Amino acid sequence: MMNTTRISILLAAVSALACTPVLAADMAAAQAKVKEVCQACHGLDGNSQSPDYPRLGGQHADYLARALHEYKSGARKNAIMNGFAATLSDQDIDNLAAYFAAQPQVLHTNP
Amino acid sequence: MAVATTCAAQTATPTGDAARGKDKTRLCEGCHGIDGWRVAYPEIYSVPKLGGQHAAYIEKALHEYKDGERSFPTMRAIAATLSDQDIADLAAYYSHGSTKTSAK
Repeated sequence: MMNTTRISILLAAVSALACTPVLAADMAAAQAKVKEVCQACHGLDGNSQSPDYPRLGGQHADYLARALHEYKSGARKNAIMNGFAATLSDQDIDNLAAYFAAQPQVLHTNP
Repeated sequence: MAVATTCAAQTATPTGDAARGKDKTRLCEGCHGIDGWRVAYPEIYSVPKLGGQHAAYIEKALHEYKDGERSFPTMRAIAATLSDQDIADLAAYYSHGSTKTSAK
Protein backbone atom coordinates (compact mmCIF):
# COMPACT_ATOMS: atom_id res chain seq x y z
CA MET A 1 0.00 0.00 0.00
CA MET A 2 2.75 2.35 1.04
CA ASN A 3 4.83 1.32 -1.94
CA THR A 4 1.91 1.90 -4.27
CA THR A 5 1.42 5.36 -2.81
CA ARG A 6 5.11 6.15 -3.21
CA ILE A 7 5.09 4.94 -6.80
CA SER A 8 1.97 6.99 -7.51
CA ILE A 9 3.60 10.10 -6.06
CA LEU A 10 6.75 9.44 -8.08
CA LEU A 11 4.75 8.92 -11.28
CA ALA A 12 2.80 12.10 -10.64
CA ALA A 13 6.06 13.98 -10.12
CA VAL A 14 7.55 12.59 -13.33
CA SER A 15 4.38 13.44 -15.24
CA ALA A 16 4.38 16.96 -13.86
CA LEU A 17 7.97 17.44 -15.05
CA ALA A 18 7.28 16.22 -18.57
CA CYS A 19 5.90 18.55 -21.22
CA THR A 20 2.87 16.31 -21.67
CA PRO A 21 1.52 13.88 -19.10
CA VAL A 22 2.62 10.28 -19.48
CA LEU A 23 -0.49 8.15 -19.49
CA ALA A 24 -0.40 4.40 -18.98
CA ALA A 25 -2.51 2.47 -21.47
CA ASP A 26 -5.58 0.64 -20.20
CA MET A 27 -6.19 -2.29 -22.56
CA ALA A 28 -9.57 -3.23 -21.10
CA ALA A 29 -10.85 0.30 -21.49
CA ALA A 30 -9.38 0.36 -24.98
CA GLN A 31 -11.21 -2.77 -26.05
CA ALA A 32 -14.50 -1.43 -24.69
CA LYS A 33 -13.97 1.73 -26.75
CA VAL A 34 -12.97 -0.29 -29.83
CA LYS A 35 -16.23 -2.27 -29.66
CA GLU A 36 -18.15 0.99 -29.38
CA VAL A 37 -16.37 3.14 -31.94
CA CYS A 38 -13.76 1.38 -34.12
CA GLN A 39 -14.78 -2.22 -34.67
CA ALA A 40 -17.48 -1.68 -37.30
CA CYS A 41 -14.92 -0.46 -39.82
CA HIS A 42 -11.46 -1.52 -38.59
CA GLY A 43 -12.38 -4.84 -36.95
CA LEU A 44 -11.88 -5.84 -33.32
CA ASP A 45 -8.17 -6.52 -33.88
CA GLY A 46 -7.67 -3.63 -36.31
CA ASN A 47 -7.05 -5.93 -39.25
CA SER A 48 -9.92 -4.71 -41.39
CA GLN A 49 -10.93 -7.05 -44.20
CA SER A 50 -12.47 -4.17 -46.13
CA PRO A 51 -10.08 -2.39 -48.49
CA ASP A 52 -11.87 0.86 -47.69
CA TYR A 53 -10.45 0.97 -44.16
CA PRO A 54 -6.77 0.86 -43.24
CA ARG A 55 -5.35 -1.99 -41.24
CA LEU A 56 -4.19 -0.89 -37.80
CA GLY A 57 -3.09 -4.15 -36.14
CA GLY A 58 0.60 -4.01 -35.26
CA GLN A 59 1.03 -0.41 -36.47
CA HIS A 60 3.36 1.76 -34.38
CA ALA A 61 1.49 3.16 -31.36
CA ASP A 62 2.99 6.64 -31.64
CA TYR A 63 1.95 6.89 -35.30
CA LEU A 64 -1.61 5.81 -34.45
CA ALA A 65 -1.79 8.32 -31.58
CA ARG A 66 -0.56 11.11 -33.81
CA ALA A 67 -3.12 10.25 -36.49
CA LEU A 68 -5.94 10.32 -33.91
CA HIS A 69 -4.78 13.66 -32.49
CA GLU A 70 -4.65 15.07 -36.02
CA TYR A 71 -8.16 13.83 -36.75
CA LYS A 72 -9.34 15.27 -33.44
CA SER A 73 -7.82 18.69 -34.10
CA GLY A 74 -8.98 18.70 -37.71
CA ALA A 75 -5.40 18.93 -39.03
CA ARG A 76 -6.13 15.70 -40.87
CA LYS A 77 -9.46 15.64 -42.60
CA ASN A 78 -11.75 12.66 -42.96
CA ALA A 79 -15.50 12.88 -42.68
CA ILE A 80 -15.74 9.68 -40.65
CA MET A 81 -12.62 9.93 -38.47
CA ASN A 82 -13.01 13.61 -37.55
CA GLY A 83 -16.36 12.85 -35.93
CA PHE A 84 -15.14 9.83 -33.99
CA ALA A 85 -11.83 11.33 -32.88
CA ALA A 86 -13.61 14.41 -31.56
CA THR A 87 -15.23 12.19 -28.92
CA LEU A 88 -11.91 10.74 -27.70
CA SER A 89 -9.95 12.02 -24.69
CA ASP A 90 -6.14 12.00 -24.65
CA GLN A 91 -6.33 8.92 -22.43
CA ASP A 92 -8.68 7.20 -24.93
CA ILE A 93 -6.19 7.95 -27.72
CA ASP A 94 -3.26 6.52 -25.77
CA ASN A 95 -5.30 3.45 -24.88
CA LEU A 96 -6.44 2.84 -28.46
CA ALA A 97 -2.98 3.38 -29.95
CA ALA A 98 -1.42 0.88 -27.51
CA TYR A 99 -4.27 -1.58 -28.08
CA PHE A 100 -4.03 -1.65 -31.88
CA ALA A 101 -0.22 -1.73 -31.79
CA ALA A 102 -0.44 -4.87 -29.65
CA GLN A 103 -2.85 -6.77 -31.96
CA PRO A 104 -1.89 -9.63 -34.31
CA GLN A 105 0.28 -8.11 -36.94
CA VAL A 106 -0.47 -8.19 -40.64
CA LEU A 107 1.40 -4.94 -41.21
CA HIS A 108 5.15 -5.04 -41.55
CA THR A 109 8.07 -2.97 -42.76
CA ASN A 110 8.85 -3.62 -46.41
CA PRO A 111 12.31 -2.97 -47.76
CA MET B 1 -21.77 11.96 -75.02
CA ALA B 2 -18.74 14.18 -74.81
CA VAL B 3 -19.43 14.83 -71.14
CA ALA B 4 -19.73 11.12 -70.38
CA THR B 5 -16.40 10.43 -72.07
CA THR B 6 -14.67 13.16 -70.09
CA CYS B 7 -16.04 11.87 -66.80
CA ALA B 8 -14.95 8.33 -67.57
CA ALA B 9 -11.45 9.53 -68.38
CA GLN B 10 -11.21 11.51 -65.15
CA THR B 11 -12.30 8.66 -62.94
CA ALA B 12 -10.23 5.94 -64.60
CA THR B 13 -7.78 4.55 -62.07
CA PRO B 14 -4.56 3.01 -63.33
CA THR B 15 -3.99 -0.62 -62.42
CA GLY B 16 -1.06 -1.03 -60.08
CA ASP B 17 1.82 -3.35 -60.83
CA ALA B 18 3.74 -4.58 -57.76
CA ALA B 19 6.93 -5.33 -59.72
CA ARG B 20 6.97 -1.83 -61.20
CA GLY B 21 6.19 -0.45 -57.75
CA LYS B 22 9.24 -2.16 -56.27
CA ASP B 23 11.39 -0.20 -58.72
CA LYS B 24 9.85 3.08 -57.55
CA THR B 25 10.56 2.83 -53.83
CA ARG B 26 13.81 4.83 -53.81
CA LEU B 27 12.13 7.80 -52.19
CA CYS B 28 10.26 5.58 -49.73
CA GLU B 29 12.77 3.08 -48.45
CA GLY B 30 14.96 5.56 -46.55
CA CYS B 31 12.18 5.90 -43.97
CA HIS B 32 9.54 3.22 -44.57
CA GLY B 33 12.09 0.51 -45.32
CA ILE B 34 13.75 0.71 -41.93
CA ASP B 35 11.88 -1.04 -39.14
CA GLY B 36 11.13 1.39 -36.31
CA TRP B 37 12.41 4.47 -38.15
CA ARG B 38 11.34 7.75 -36.61
CA VAL B 39 11.08 11.19 -38.13
CA ALA B 40 12.26 14.20 -36.12
CA TYR B 41 9.96 16.86 -37.59
CA PRO B 42 7.45 18.27 -36.78
CA GLU B 43 7.77 15.95 -33.79
CA ILE B 44 9.45 12.62 -33.14
CA TYR B 45 7.27 9.66 -34.06
CA SER B 46 7.47 6.42 -35.97
CA VAL B 47 6.78 6.31 -39.69
CA PRO B 48 3.93 3.89 -40.40
CA LYS B 49 4.42 0.33 -41.52
CA LEU B 50 3.16 0.00 -45.08
CA GLY B 51 3.70 -3.68 -45.88
CA GLY B 52 0.37 -5.53 -45.87
CA GLN B 53 -1.74 -2.35 -45.85
CA HIS B 54 -4.74 -2.21 -48.20
CA ALA B 55 -3.75 -0.83 -51.61
CA ALA B 56 -6.81 1.42 -51.74
CA TYR B 57 -5.77 3.11 -48.49
CA ILE B 58 -2.17 3.65 -49.62
CA GLU B 59 -3.42 5.15 -52.90
CA LYS B 60 -5.82 7.42 -51.05
CA ALA B 61 -3.10 8.59 -48.67
CA LEU B 62 -0.65 9.36 -51.49
CA HIS B 63 -3.30 11.29 -53.44
CA GLU B 64 -4.17 13.24 -50.28
CA TYR B 65 -0.51 14.20 -49.85
CA LYS B 66 -0.23 15.08 -53.52
CA ASP B 67 -3.38 17.22 -53.36
CA GLY B 68 -2.22 18.93 -50.15
CA GLU B 69 -5.02 17.49 -48.03
CA ARG B 70 -2.52 15.84 -45.68
CA SER B 71 0.10 18.05 -44.18
CA PHE B 72 3.32 16.12 -43.52
CA PRO B 73 5.86 18.17 -45.53
CA THR B 74 8.17 15.36 -46.66
CA MET B 75 5.32 13.22 -47.91
CA ARG B 76 3.72 16.17 -49.69
CA ALA B 77 6.99 16.90 -51.50
CA ILE B 78 7.51 13.28 -52.50
CA ALA B 79 3.91 12.63 -53.51
CA ALA B 80 3.99 15.72 -55.72
CA THR B 81 6.56 13.95 -57.90
CA LEU B 82 4.40 10.83 -58.35
CA SER B 83 2.07 10.17 -61.26
CA ASP B 84 -1.24 8.36 -60.77
CA GLN B 85 0.44 5.29 -62.26
CA ASP B 86 3.37 5.57 -59.80
CA ILE B 87 0.90 5.78 -56.93
CA ALA B 88 -1.02 2.71 -58.13
CA ASP B 89 2.24 0.76 -58.58
CA LEU B 90 3.56 1.67 -55.13
CA ALA B 91 0.23 0.76 -53.53
CA ALA B 92 0.32 -2.62 -55.30
CA TYR B 93 3.87 -3.25 -54.11
CA TYR B 94 3.35 -2.35 -50.47
CA SER B 95 -0.04 -4.05 -50.16
CA HIS B 96 1.30 -7.31 -51.49
CA GLY B 97 4.31 -7.05 -49.24
CA SER B 98 7.38 -9.05 -50.02
CA THR B 99 9.49 -10.50 -47.26
CA LYS B 100 6.85 -11.17 -44.65
CA THR B 101 3.61 -11.84 -46.50
CA SER B 102 3.79 -15.54 -45.72
CA ALA B 103 4.17 -14.85 -42.01
CA LYS B 104 0.71 -13.43 -41.52
